[in-house]
Amino acid sequence: MSTSAAEHLARAAAGRHPELPETTCGTVRLDMLEGGRTEHWYLTIDRQEVRVERSADEADLVVRADREVFDRIAAGRLHLAAALLRNDLAGQGNLRLLMMLRRLFPGPPDARHPRDVAGFPYRPVPR
Amino acid sequence: MKQELVSVLAGNAFAMGDAQGDMEAHPCAPIGLFSFDTRFLSHWVLTVDGERLQSLSRDDLTYFETRFVLVPGAASHYVDADVSVIRHRCLDEGFHEQLTVLNHSAEPADFTVRMEIGSDFADTAEIRHPGPRRPTATADPQRGELRIRHRRGRFTRETCVSSTAPADVDQRGMTFRIRVEPNGAWRTDLHVSMIIQGAGERDLRADIDSHREQVRRTMRDDLARWCDQAPELVADRKPLAAAYRQALTDLAALRYTPLAYAERVPVGGLPWAMTLYGRDALVTCLETLPFTPELTPATLRMLALAQGGQLDDYHDEEPGKILGELRYGEAAAFDDEPTALYYGAADTTPLFVVLLDEYERWTGDADLVRELRHPARMALDWMTEYGDPYGDGYLRYQPRNTTNGVANQTWRNSPEAIVDRHGVLPPYPRATCELQGYAYDARIRGARLAREFWDDPEYAERLEADAACLRERFNHDFWLPQRGYYALAVTPDGKPVDALTSAVGHLLWSGIVEPERADSLAAHLCGPDLFTGWGVRTYADGQRPYNPVGAHLGAVWPSDNAFVAAGLRRYGYDDEAARIAAGVFAMAETLGGSVPEVIAGYPRRLTKYPVQLPAAGRPQSWASGGLLMLLATMLGLRPCADNLLVNPVIPTGYGRIELLDVPGRWGRTDAYGRDRDGDRRMRGGRGEGTRRAA
Repeated sequence: MSTSAAEHLARAAAGRHPELPETTCGTVRLDMLEGGRTEHWYLTIDRQEVRVERSADEADLVVRADREVFDRIAAGRLHLAAALLRNDLAGQGNLRLLMMLRRLFPGPPDARHPRDVAGFPYRPVPR
Repeated sequence: MKQELVSVLAGNAFAMGDAQGDMEAHPCAPIGLFSFDTRFLSHWVLTVDGERLQSLSRDDLTYFETRFVLVPGAASHYVDADVSVIRHRCLDEGFHEQLTVLNHSAEPADFTVRMEIGSDFADTAEIRHPGPRRPTATADPQRGELRIRHRRGRFTRETCVSSTAPADVDQRGMTFRIRVEPNGAWRTDLHVSMIIQGAGERDLRADIDSHREQVRRTMRDDLARWCDQAPELVADRKPLAAAYRQALTDLAALRYTPLAYAERVPVGGLPWAMTLYGRDALVTCLETLPFTPELTPATLRMLALAQGGQLDDYHDEEPGKILGELRYGEAAAFDDEPTALYYGAADTTPLFVVLLDEYERWTGDADLVRELRHPARMALDWMTEYGDPYGDGYLRYQPRNTTNGVANQTWRNSPEAIVDRHGVLPPYPRATCELQGYAYDARIRGARLAREFWDDPEYAERLEADAACLRERFNHDFWLPQRGYYALAVTPDGKPVDALTSAVGHLLWSGIVEPERADSLAAHLCGPDLFTGWGVRTYADGQRPYNPVGAHLGAVWPSDNAFVAAGLRRYGYDDEAARIAAGVFAMAETLGGSVPEVIAGYPRRLTKYPVQLPAAGRPQSWASGGLLMLLATMLGLRPCADNLLVNPVIPTGYGRIELLDVPGRWGRTDAYGRDRDGDRRMRGGRGEGTRRAA
């Protein structure tokens, strides 16, 4: 059973993210549509700190999609850029933040490290 | 596909058709109107009274504008037509074609003018076998509009063709039944909007009249401004000045604004690479710093934004890795191809750091170095954490996407490119030699950035220690003492892939070569097995896989040669560098127009004329940029603190070269050079140069 987008946002998205550039600041609102209802999630990215709230406030970037689309992204089963091209997901505002948002979601669960694919003993040289 | 192909282009959009201006889809080339990797017109054929037209003349006004003068009927040696047609097309955010029908007779004349219109919405990835789409065509005779639409789920692409003159619109085109007065003219403006629904809120619908004029004027102004801002070349050798001008224009043409981005970055080139390729963009920027430095910050920022953030096998992505390719078509959207964001490139990440450092050396833009600290640091860390799968210090690649990933993740990206002298392909992961050079150089440069701008001397020391260690091991493991050159690659168990290639020139450029070995490399690069007379082959003659028409097994690339020549000068082989520069320029001047990205590797004395390859792109950013880099190499341009050093070694017969207003941290300054023949006549010394700050 994979994590839903809501669970992922609540548990894993908030906090410190060293993988985000220290120059990135901005607000992102995720509008998750389901059965005529919209659930709003509001992310504040302040350098490498991310705050997650439930709010329908204005944001620098608003991302709208069916809840199911967000769930697939949160499970690492849908590529955010592909979803945008497919028009399964719509972005409005500062789309550059979308690239940063991508880093707050996981990659595919079955992805491998190049080291594990190389099929040869790892042999670091002392330095 | 025997006919000449004619194109207009703007950013990542282009329209390619025959010499009459007609466009009919063909499996061998991306014929039609394309934008954002989608073919919006696959059929665009003009007839007058049911007859196709033939071309009397053509005027390629700018890269985005062409005018065809046509007459009806089959080609014959004698044309005596009472009617002629002018087809004036222009491409910006939309495609515009003005049709003018002229009646040359003394009587009023009635004509049936017909434009056949169709779209297959093929993705650029499937030109050979376009998918079975069933677009719907809707004719709106009231509005004089034809809309053709393709839908797949929420994915929608739409072509909308409209006419300013009244038209009979049907699902397959537009018919104009017209009467033209004696010596009179009839006109219509056809406008084609290419609509990408919803993608990034981008609306490609252009307003028809006012907007079009405005955009066209803006594009003209923009081209003029671009050429004005670049240094002016004054050369005794006129074809050199023409080649320079053409290269600058090509670079202007091949800039586009990615979705979700505000600045323009270079695309690879026409026709197959009209999108952002990390490698092509980085290489183009490295080549053009003394000429058009404004390309670089836009490119670095865009690549930083798209930097890899997670492990993803299908997209060959790892955290910190710099993008390989970015596309917007249906194949990318539905993951038929991994190109929505594809990272299958092992050289882009070190080159990102190399470019950032080189840019600061030229421009003094320390702010950008500070702004991009995080992505540059991620890139440097990637080389150790993900790029070096065995932990032995070598950068290696292995596609994790074995379905449609790129087999060779370097600039030699054809599947058979990395091969030993006998034709044996090495197993994965592959450590090619030029990757080690780039990784070495990236660490040396990264250390400078860490020390001077990031206030991180410890990190700088670590990078320098890693670089020194890599250099030592590399010079031990890759060097082939019997042959006097570095192996193309090493296998996973350390066995050298013993082919002689132009990659040794890239090693000189990176500075990883021990100086006492450079003599031997220079001799190989300028020897008959590698040097054709038009440039250095990718892969040397005298080895089994050598093939003069093999893209990476014998053909000659101007961009590759630009790095080879710069490497030779770095190690003091000035005459060898001048010889290569002269060869490539002779090729570009002989062919005229935009320099092709690659030509065949036949010896110049055998063919006399450069042999072109049908698959070669033209114009290509890195090929056009390569000419600029060769020019800078001839002049020996190098930033040194706040001065521009000029140390010209100009090929014999070139006479005097002046490059005026070279931009950089010195403001603007001029560089002069003269070939030695002229120089002997004048002063008896070796060229001349200036060294001054503005």
